[in-house]
Amino acid sequence: MNRALLRLSLACLVMFALLLINVNYVQAFEATSLASRPGNVRVFDQQFQYKRGSIVAGGATIAVSRPAKDGTYHRYYPFGPVYAPVTGYDSVYGPSVAGTAGIELAEDKDLAGTAPQLAVHNLIDLVTGKPRLGATVYLTISPKAQQAAYDALRAQGRPAAAVAIDPRTGAILAMASYPTFNPNRYTTLNGAKLNRIDRAYRNDPQQPLLNRALQATFPPGSSFKIVTSSAAFGTRAVASPQSTVPAPTNLQLPGTTHVLINDGNEACGDGHPPLIFAFYVSCNTAFGDLGLKLGGSVLRDYADRFGFNDPDLTVPMPVTPSVFPRISNPDYTAYSAIGQFDDEITPLQEAMDSAAIANGGTLMTPYLVQEVQAPDLSVVQSAHTSVLSRVVSAQIAGQVRTMMIQVTQNPAGTAYLTANEHVAGVEIAGKTGTAQNGVNNTGLDDAVFTCFAPASKPTIAVGVIVKGGGFGADAAAPIAVKIIQAYLGVS
Amino acid sequence: MMAVATHSGAGAAAEAPAPMPRGRRSTELLMLLFALGVVLAAYASAGLGLNGKLPAGLIEYGAAFAVLVLAAHLAVRRLAPWADPLMLPLAALLNGLGIVMIYRLQESGRGGNPGNKISTMTASTTAYQVVWSAVGIAAFIAVLAVIREPRVLQRYTYTLGAVGLVLLAVPALLPARFSAVPGTGAKIQVAVGGFSIQPEEFAKLALAVFFAGYLVAKRDVLALAGRRVLGIDLPRARDLGPVLIAWAASLLILVFETDIGTSAVFFGMFVAMLYVATQRTSWLLIGIGLFLLGTYAASRLFQHVGERFTIWLHPFAGSNPTHAAFQLVQGLEGMGFGGILGTGLGHGQPFYTPLVQSDFIITAFGEELGLTGLMAILLIFALIVQRGLRAAIGVRDPFAKLLAGGLAFVLALQVFVIVGGVTGLIPLTGITTPFMSQGGSSLVASWAMIALLIRISDTARRPAPQAIQDEGMTQIVRAG
Repeated sequence: MNRALLRLSLACLVMFALLLINVNYVQAFEATSLASRPGNVRVFDQQFQYKRGSIVAGGATIAVSRPAKDGTYHRYYPFGPVYAPVTGYDSVYGPSVAGTAGIELAEDKDLAGTAPQLAVHNLIDLVTGKPRLGATVYLTISPKAQQAAYDALRAQGRPAAAVAIDPRTGAILAMASYPTFNPNRYTTLNGAKLNRIDRAYRNDPQQPLLNRALQATFPPGSSFKIVTSSAAFGTRAVASPQSTVPAPTNLQLPGTTHVLINDGNEACGDGHPPLIFAFYVSCNTAFGDLGLKLGGSVLRDYADRFGFNDPDLTVPMPVTPSVFPRISNPDYTAYSAIGQFDDEITPLQEAMDSAAIANGGTLMTPYLVQEVQAPDLSVVQSAHTSVLSRVVSAQIAGQVRTMMIQVTQNPAGTAYLTANEHVAGVEIAGKTGTAQNGVNNTGLDDAVFTCFAPASKPTIAVGVIVKGGGFGADAAAPIAVKIIQAYLGVS
Repeated sequence: MMAVATHSGAGAAAEAPAPMPRGRRSTELLMLLFALGVVLAAYASAGLGLNGKLPAGLIEYGAAFAVLVLAAHLAVRRLAPWADPLMLPLAALLNGLGIVMIYRLQESGRGGNPGNKISTMTASTTAYQVVWSAVGIAAFIAVLAVIREPRVLQRYTYTLGAVGLVLLAVPALLPARFSAVPGTGAKIQVAVGGFSIQPEEFAKLALAVFFAGYLVAKRDVLALAGRRVLGIDLPRARDLGPVLIAWAASLLILVFETDIGTSAVFFGMFVAMLYVATQRTSWLLIGIGLFLLGTYAASRLFQHVGERFTIWLHPFAGSNPTHAAFQLVQGLEGMGFGGILGTGLGHGQPFYTPLVQSDFIITAFGEELGLTGLMAILLIFALIVQRGLRAAIGVRDPFAKLLAGGLAFVLALQVFVIVGGVTGLIPLTGITTPFMSQGGSSLVASWAMIALLIRISDTARRPAPQAIQDEGMTQIVRAG
C-alpha cells in the first residue's frame, strides 16, 4: 500500500501547493486591484486611521489632518476656497480627480505615507507598532500673492484665473481660479451628504470645480504678439523695436474676402510705424502682416518654445496644453499671429510667456512642490529647478521687454491707465489682450493681461484671464497689479 | 491470504539491526514551549494592537493554555513515548492562534464596534473556546489512554460504521429549528438550548475507522476481481456496492443538509482510502467521475449549489460583491489589504467579513499576519499532514496504515476545501478550519484525530521487541 500512500502524499502536496500559489496571487499580485475596487470598506476606513501629511505654503498650513475624539483623523482646509485650485480636496472617496485635481491627488502617495521613499519609515513604524504618518508637502505658493489673487478675482465676479511665477526659478507663487469651491465641504464622512454636495457643485453652470488656471483655455488675443514679436526678432525679419513695419488700416487677407482691421477700425500711426509703437498700441494689421511674412510653421516653432502644444507638462498636476495649431490654410496665419482663430491659452501659459522674457529668454519649468518632508523631518524629495526651453536670446528678450515696458509706461500704451508705475508703485512690463470669441465673435471679449515686475529686475511674472471681461487693460491688468503689489510689498 | 505476511517477518530478521530509534520527547517539549511562546506573543500583540495595552487575561489564559499543552505532552510521554514529536506542538500552535484570533474578533465586535458582537459570538466566546480546547485535549489524552494499539479499533469496524451514519443522519432528520446553523442555511448541527454540537465532525472519525476496517477486509476482492477494459481494470458490479453507498450518502448530505463541503470531504476520504487499499487507479477514476457527475447534477438541480459556482467564477460581476459574493469579496479584500506583511494583529478590519470567526477565519489571518503569516499557517497544516502520512508509511499493520493515510488525507482535503474556498481557488463551501474556527465539535474531533495519528506514529516508530535469545528461524506469527 506504500506506493499508493506516496501517490496520496503527492496529491496532498499538490493541494497545498495550489493553496500557496493562490494566496500569493491574492495577497501579492491582486492586492492593488482589490484595494482600488470601489466600495472596498477597508481602504475607505484606512484614510481615517492615520494622520495624513499637511500641505504647507510659505509658513501657512493650507491642509491638515486633525484628530477627532474617536481617534480618527479628519481633513481640514484652514483657508477654505482660497487655495482650492492648489490643494484640490480629499474626501472619503479619495482625493479629487480630473479638472479639480490638486496636490492632494498629485502628492497622494507622499501625503498618505505610502510612497516608496517613505517605505523605510513605514517599516520601522510597523515593527514598533506606531501608527502610520504621512509626509508634509511644502509648496512654492506665496500666501500673500495667493490671497491677493483670490480676493481680486472674487471682487470682479466674472469667471477668471490668475497665475504668478518666479521667472528665475519657475516656482509658482500664486494660482487662483474663480468661481471656486470650498474643499471643507468635501470632508464630510456622510456618503449621501457628500454625494449631494458633489452633485450640486458638478451641476453648477459656473463650474466651480474647474481649475481655470491650469485646465481652461481661452483665446490669447493680442497678448500673443509677444510670441509674434519674438519670432520676428529671432528670424531677423525685423531688426529692432524701432524698425518700421507696414500697418495698413485694412489688411486684405490673400485668397479670401476677409479683411483684418485694427481695434475701432483705426489707422495705426502713419501706416508705417516702428514695431514698438504697433506693440504698445496693439495694432492688429502690423502683426497680421508680420504673421503672413513669417508663416505658420515659424510662428508655431516659437509658440512651442514658449511652451505651447506641450501635452506632458505637469506642475505636478497635469496642465491642459495651450494650442497654436498647425495652420492648414496659410491665409489665416494673420489671425493666428494676433492670437485669434484657433489659438488657445491657459492662464499658466500667459504667465510663462512673460516669465520667459523676464528671465532673459530662458523659460524655467513651472513647479509647485518645493519639498517633501518625512515624518521624522528628513527631506525625501526636493525641487530642483530646470530649464523648460531656451526661447530667445537675452538680447531679443531685452528687445521684447523694452516694448512691454512701453505698454504700461507710454501714455499711449494700452495698459498705461491701469498699470503705470504711479498706479502700481513698481515698473511693470506687460501686454494686454482683448480676445474676441464666440460664433462670429458675438461673445463678450475675454480680457487678458500678462506681465512681469519689477521690469528691470523681474521677480514675479503674472498671467490673468477674465472670461467676458472686455478690455484686457481694464479687467485683467488691475488683478495682476494687485498680485504684484502684494508679493513685492508695494502700494 | 494472511500467510503472505509471514515472509516479511523473516526478511526483517535477516537485515542488519537498525540503530536504536529515539523517542524525541525532549524535542517535542522544546517545540511545545516554542509554540506556547508564539501563541502568548500573538495574544499580547493582539491586545496591544486593539487597546494599546496588554490583554487583561494574559497571565490567566496563558497559564491555562500552558497547563493544557503540558498535560498533553505528559500524556504522550507516558502513553505513546515513541510518537512523532512534531504533531502535538503543531496542533497546539494552531489551536492557540485560533483562540487569539477569536479573542481579537470578540474584542473588536461587528463592524469594529465592541458593543455589537459578531453573529455567533458573545462576550465569553474566548473563554468558551479555551474550555473547548481543554475538552479537546482531554479527548486527546483519553484516546491515547483507551486505544493502546491501533488494531483495537478494527474490532469495532461495523459498530463505528453504524455510529458514523447515524451521526451524519441526525441533523438531516431533525427539524430545522434544532439543526439549522443561523445565517448559513446549512442543517448540520444539533442544538438544544444554547449548546450545540456538529455530529458530522465525529462522524468523520467514525467513518474513517469503518472505511479502514472494511477496506482492509475486502481489499483483495476489490483489487483483484474484475475485467480489464481499455487498459483499466474495472471492478465487478457487485463490488461497486460500497462505493455507490458512500457516494449516495455524500449526495444525501449535500441535498438534505445543504452542506457541499462536508459531502466533498467525506467522499474524497472514502475514494482516497479505497485507492490506497486496492492500489487500483480505476477506483480513483470512478470515484472522481461520480463526484463530478453528482456535483454537476446538484448545481443544475439546486439553486444554492449553482449559485456557489456563479460566485466562484464571477465574484466581482454585477451586484455580486454586495450581495451573493459579499462574504467572499470581503474575505479577499481583507487578504489583499493585509498584503505581504499584514496589518498586524488588532490593526486590520477582519470583522467586516461575515462568519470570519468560523469559515473565514483563515482570511482574518491573511489580513492581519499577511501573506507571510498565512503561508506559515498553511505550512503548519501541511507538516501535520506530512507527519501523518509518514506514520502511515512507517506502520506495518495494514489497518493502521489505511487509517493514518485516510486521516492525514482528510485533514489535507478539509484544509484545501475551506482555504481554497475562501481564497477563491475553488467554489466556496462552508466547513470549519481544523483547530482554528470557533466551535467545540471541530476542535474536539481534531484533537481526537491527532491522538489517533500520534497513536499510529507511536506504533510505527516503536522499536521491535528484542529477542531474549536467538531462536533461529522459529517465528511467532500472530494471526491478523
